[in-house]
Amino acid sequence: MSEHVIAATGLTKKYGDLVAVNGVSLSVEKGALYGLLGPNGSGKSTMIKMLTGQIRPTAGTATVLGVDVQQDPVGVRERVGIIPEQETPPSFLTAHEYLQLVGAIRKIPDIEERAAWWFDFMDFGDKKDVLCKDLSRGTRQKLMFAQAFVHQPALALIDEPLINFDPIMQHQVKDYLAEYTKKGNTIFLSTHILEVAEEICSDFVILHKGNILHTGTVASLDAEHRHLDDFFLELMQRTRNV
Amino acid sequence: MFELFIAMIKEEWRIHSTMFGSISFALFPILIFWIAFMGSFLLPLMRQALPSGELSIVLHANYLMLGFMVGAFGLLGSEVMNRRFGQASLLAYAARSLPLSERFIFANFVIKDTLYYFVLWVLPLALGFLLASPFIGVPITLPLLLSLTLTLAFLSGLCLVFFLSSLYSRSKPALAAVLVFLALAAGAIALVTHENPAQLFPPVMLFNAFSWANLLQCCATIVILFTVSIWLFTPETADSTKHYHDMLMPLAKKLSFFPTPPLTAKDIIDMYRSGGMVGQTLFSFVIPLVVIWFFLSLLNGYLPTYGVLLEFALVTGVIASTMYTWLTMFDTFGAYACLPVSVRTVIKSKIASFTVLQIIPAVFVALAALLSGQALYLLPAVVLTLSVSFYSLGVTVWLTGLSPSVMVYSVKVMVTYLVLVGVVLLALSAVAFSSPFAALGAVVLFIPAIFFARLGFAKWEAREQPGF
Repeated sequence: MSEHVIAATGLTKKYGDLVAVNGVSLSVEKGALYGLLGPNGSGKSTMIKMLTGQIRPTAGTATVLGVDVQQDPVGVRERVGIIPEQETPPSFLTAHEYLQLVGAIRKIPDIEERAAWWFDFMDFGDKKDVLCKDLSRGTRQKLMFAQAFVHQPALALIDEPLINFDPIMQHQVKDYLAEYTKKGNTIFLSTHILEVAEEICSDFVILHKGNILHTGTVASLDAEHRHLDDFFLELMQRTRNV
Repeated sequence: MFELFIAMIKEEWRIHSTMFGSISFALFPILIFWIAFMGSFLLPLMRQALPSGELSIVLHANYLMLGFMVGAFGLLGSEVMNRRFGQASLLAYAARSLPLSERFIFANFVIKDTLYYFVLWVLPLALGFLLASPFIGVPITLPLLLSLTLTLAFLSGLCLVFFLSSLYSRSKPALAAVLVFLALAAGAIALVTHENPAQLFPPVMLFNAFSWANLLQCCATIVILFTVSIWLFTPETADSTKHYHDMLMPLAKKLSFFPTPPLTAKDIIDMYRSGGMVGQTLFSFVIPLVVIWFFLSLLNGYLPTYGVLLEFALVTGVIASTMYTWLTMFDTFGAYACLPVSVRTVIKSKIASFTVLQIIPAVFVALAALLSGQALYLLPAVVLTLSVSFYSLGVTVWLTGLSPSVMVYSVKVMVTYLVLVGVVLLALSAVAFSSPFAALGAVVLFIPAIFFARLGFAKWEAREQPGF
């Protein structure tokens, strides 16, 4: 029997009259690299924020790794790794100090060894002792990636994790994510870069204006000899015509 | 180029109005107007205790103080863009991609802040007094003159802090030299003329004896301070390759008696590395309070011997409570969004950091007691300061959560704060004047302080944080 690490039912988020997410129900199986796809403003980031207890749903329920996100949002964040929409490490800590802070909050005893591994993997060079505010966007994104995975969570919810990386780092990180899921961990990846989703995701859901347009697997598209970006564009075109 | 200025004004308005709604925020200056209008009716009563000359000095001191506070909030030289805006996509930051010099953007920012806070705070106060004047038997020319001189006092405070902070960003020794010079000059004036230097504050002199020459002198001082400040302003030149030693964990170990040592250590490091530890302490705390001391000491003849010290301790307590704002201005809760940290935990860590900072007001008031030859009342003064500070902090936490500098412009928040803190200040003044050692009883304020803080934890935990 499959094990669901994320189970959402009727998740809705309204901001006044604006419905950012409209009754979304989905489930994500353990070990999946699940793509949350959609154009800008489709509700992807809002979904991640609700699933990690950063914002409260207007309606609906969700459990993440068996924890109710509304009852115990901090408990959810304890168990998962998160890369937020914007890279926001604290301005006046160095990159190294930030990972130490994350280690102290997450109670990681061997944080120094882990941080050293991540700085090496992310090719930080001598930037680890530079204040976060003085790091480039790409380096800040590397740091946010490291903080999301430094405690090796069973599930990581990551919002556009590759967007500021150079092609070499993108390649390296995609390999890392693929390997990570092979070990039985789960990735919930929000992106609008369809090539990336097609390359690494096993399952996907397409959101549009807060509603689910399609749920499927990359394998089923492959079987039909279709590319994800063509499928996505057709879907959007149909939606517009409707 | 006027468009940038207009856009900045709109932006400032929207920052506040989106938090509370346009109408609620628009009510804020009306509230200030109403307080000034109603407060004016107390003037005849106050005149029985204080001559109107001294009363006007106290009023000018308040406006000077307001200028200091507004100036110190954002205008800390080269740090301003990062301090106030961080990586936020606000105009003062975003306009850097336009073909405009940093100095021009900064000048617009300063003028915008001046005008904005003038309309928000100064104008309603002046209008309140002006409209009340016919009812309290004051000739109309007096409130008009007072409006002018109070405005000049506000601008003097603003420009002086702006000047000092720009100087600070250029050269710390130069700033120290200027401060020493000002202190010596004030001392020399006091020695030679046997007058309190506060009497020689140009707007006060203008109020006491209006002349066009005096007015010109006042305006010239402000314009010169402002121009030199813009000239001294240096665009951010932070060396992005600068490396820092690890401070977080060693400091966290030293703070291990607090509930969340790493978060408290982070707050202290934020203050230290941003220059806030020195800058904020100097511009938002020490300088305003030294000025307040001079003004309060004018009341020596009307208060018991220990009265000025204890009044000063109360004022210091209120100002010390604003240190919470220093700690919350660096990060919103969004910075903790990806970590297993609750709002309650973040607020508690800020309170712990605040507690560390309270050594500054405690030492400051103790020094004031010693230097004024009232060592006997040192303990009641320090107890008063810390009790008022923690009580006001509790109220602030309950009312504003992690956004004190923004939430203060909610009329509901402001009125509640004024009532809760004002009543306590009045009661403590009465107790302290009747018996200075009765002021030790102010420690009971720690009970409501804890009560309000706990209310705040529950209130803000239940709300979505704006940083998200």
